[in-house]
Amino acid sequence: MNILTPRPNPIVAALYTLRDLDVDVAILHGPSGCGFRAARLLEEDGMVVVTTSMTEEDLIFGASDKLIEVLTEANALFSPKTIGVVGSCVSMIIGENVKKALIDSGLNNKAFFVEIHGCMGANTRGAIETLKAAMDFGLIGEKEFKRQENMLLLATEVESNKGMAKSKYIKPSRGTDLKIVADYITNLLKENKKIAVVLNAKKETVYLFADILLAINLASKKLGGSVINVGNLSTEVGLLRIKRYAEDIINNLNSNNVAINFISGGMDEYPIAGKNAIDYLKDKDFDLMVAVGIPQALPLIDKESIAVTNGPREVPPLEEAGYKYVTVEIASHSTVMGTREIVFSELGEAIRNSAGIQ
Amino acid sequence: MKQIAIYGKGGIGKSSISSNLSVNLASEGLEVLLIGCDPKSDSTINLFGGKRINTVLDLYKKGVTDPDLMVFEGYNGVKGVEVGGPAAGVGCAGRGILVALKTLNKDYYIDRGFDVVIYDVPGDVVCGGFAGPARDGYADEVYIITSGEYFSIYAANNIAKGLFNLNVKLGGIVGNMRDITKEERKIKVYAEEIKSQLINVVERNPKIYESEIEGKTVLEKYPNDLLNIKFKEIGKKILSNKKSKVPTPITDERIRSILGGFH
Repeated sequence: MNILTPRPNPIVAALYTLRDLDVDVAILHGPSGCGFRAARLLEEDGMVVVTTSMTEEDLIFGASDKLIEVLTEANALFSPKTIGVVGSCVSMIIGENVKKALIDSGLNNKAFFVEIHGCMGANTRGAIETLKAAMDFGLIGEKEFKRQENMLLLATEVESNKGMAKSKYIKPSRGTDLKIVADYITNLLKENKKIAVVLNAKKETVYLFADILLAINLASKKLGGSVINVGNLSTEVGLLRIKRYAEDIINNLNSNNVAINFISGGMDEYPIAGKNAIDYLKDKDFDLMVAVGIPQALPLIDKESIAVTNGPREVPPLEEAGYKYVTVEIASHSTVMGTREIVFSELGEAIRNSAGIQ
Repeated sequence: MKQIAIYGKGGIGKSSISSNLSVNLASEGLEVLLIGCDPKSDSTINLFGGKRINTVLDLYKKGVTDPDLMVFEGYNGVKGVEVGGPAAGVGCAGRGILVALKTLNKDYYIDRGFDVVIYDVPGDVVCGGFAGPARDGYADEVYIITSGEYFSIYAANNIAKGLFNLNVKLGGIVGNMRDITKEERKIKVYAEEIKSQLINVVERNPKIYESEIEGKTVLEKYPNDLLNIKFKEIGKKILSNKKSKVPTPITDERIRSILGGFH
């Protein structure tokens, strides 16, 4: 099936994965505008992103000298421990010999190359190629590479079967109004009902999605009812940075006297953690499930449920799947970069307002 | 395992020499893989009685990525592969070569126990993709086919410039003669000028063209012809060659001066 809906691309996924690996500088070997929105966000998260700014002339004559120049400049300016060079459509199509440029720059002991471009399929391919390059460079072991590769392939499957790659074209939607969803949740709590919150977040988006779990717990403390908290917040799984995210969230929740009843997996295990969460909940008594983050990775359950996603194109498939309400946190990536604390979410704010929490 | 790449001016006889070299090396008991890198996909045609084989990129387009399904057995047990590529005037053949080489997977050659892998590469090193077979992990060294004519030597020198830029070793030059004055001497002097060597020369011989018209190598059509001994000699010299080095290309003026000096 030729999917018409624009989707995340492998180059940007490669950049994000370099950030996950705590690489200090990413050099995008391509045009100055390639991946610029992601680059800005990633710089806020501490990784320097620079570009070789390829031009029409570079397409014709090649740009290896320019890459060597940028490598040398970046090394002098930022004194990085590790540099990742990421390919782009143009540099890869013209067959740039990046490995040779790394050797010629004399920086091949600290710089490695991710051979990727935008026409290589799902965005997860970019992440896999980056992890493979990092493994070959010695940043991660083969076992960790295989584990993450498996997760990424499962994530691709989730999007193809239940997400935005499910059909030819999906119109973006904001879903149900946040206030309606917030009032529904707080009214149930006022009726002393029990809510299961499943936080199934992908990496740094947890800093936003955890706020919804927190807000429901705070609302319950004020209004009544009770909450079962499930989250993919394992501090034992994944890269150092990813484990740190989980530690931050657990510390934040602890300081608000909110405990997680069940850890469903690691922060990069969202394709399987949803199933673990549902397995845990199947014998539990509750009136409503609120699934936040990647709800499309959760198996369907025979209970009233609300889904909170950050993808406007995820809304129609989630609605079709039978969720009572589906709503969107639109600014997920832009608000979480560089933070170590849970940030305010729109739905979390709506729940606080609805519950009368200042 | 030895991997070599054959470069040279368009129409100079790279495919003729590559296929004749392959079958004669095979008759010496070696496992030979000939990889045609021309989008016209005609490098291996003389191994298969004039028939075209399925190309790597056509199969790739259909979702086939198993190298075993891309390699075909031709005359005298030589295995043939055609990279293939876009029709004339569309797409990007250079990118096609890079993707095909990656799909074929260089570890596959080692697993299959080939003794010799020959890449027959079209024309000059016109873009990054066409340099693919000469890069790390593929060909150990490059051989240039040329006649003694100015434009052929000029093209050879341009390839030498590419090899110099890429820091790739040149094993030597093989002459494919066009019957011009003092031709072998011209090629030899040029080869030495760029700090390389003349491996051997193949004299102009109608038996090559007669064989090709039938989609055959000389070994198949004229098994007892002396030409086969010549190809075996070339093969032996390539396999035992210890003089490969990065060439030092010369100026156009110097080429004219060398070639002009023989008139």
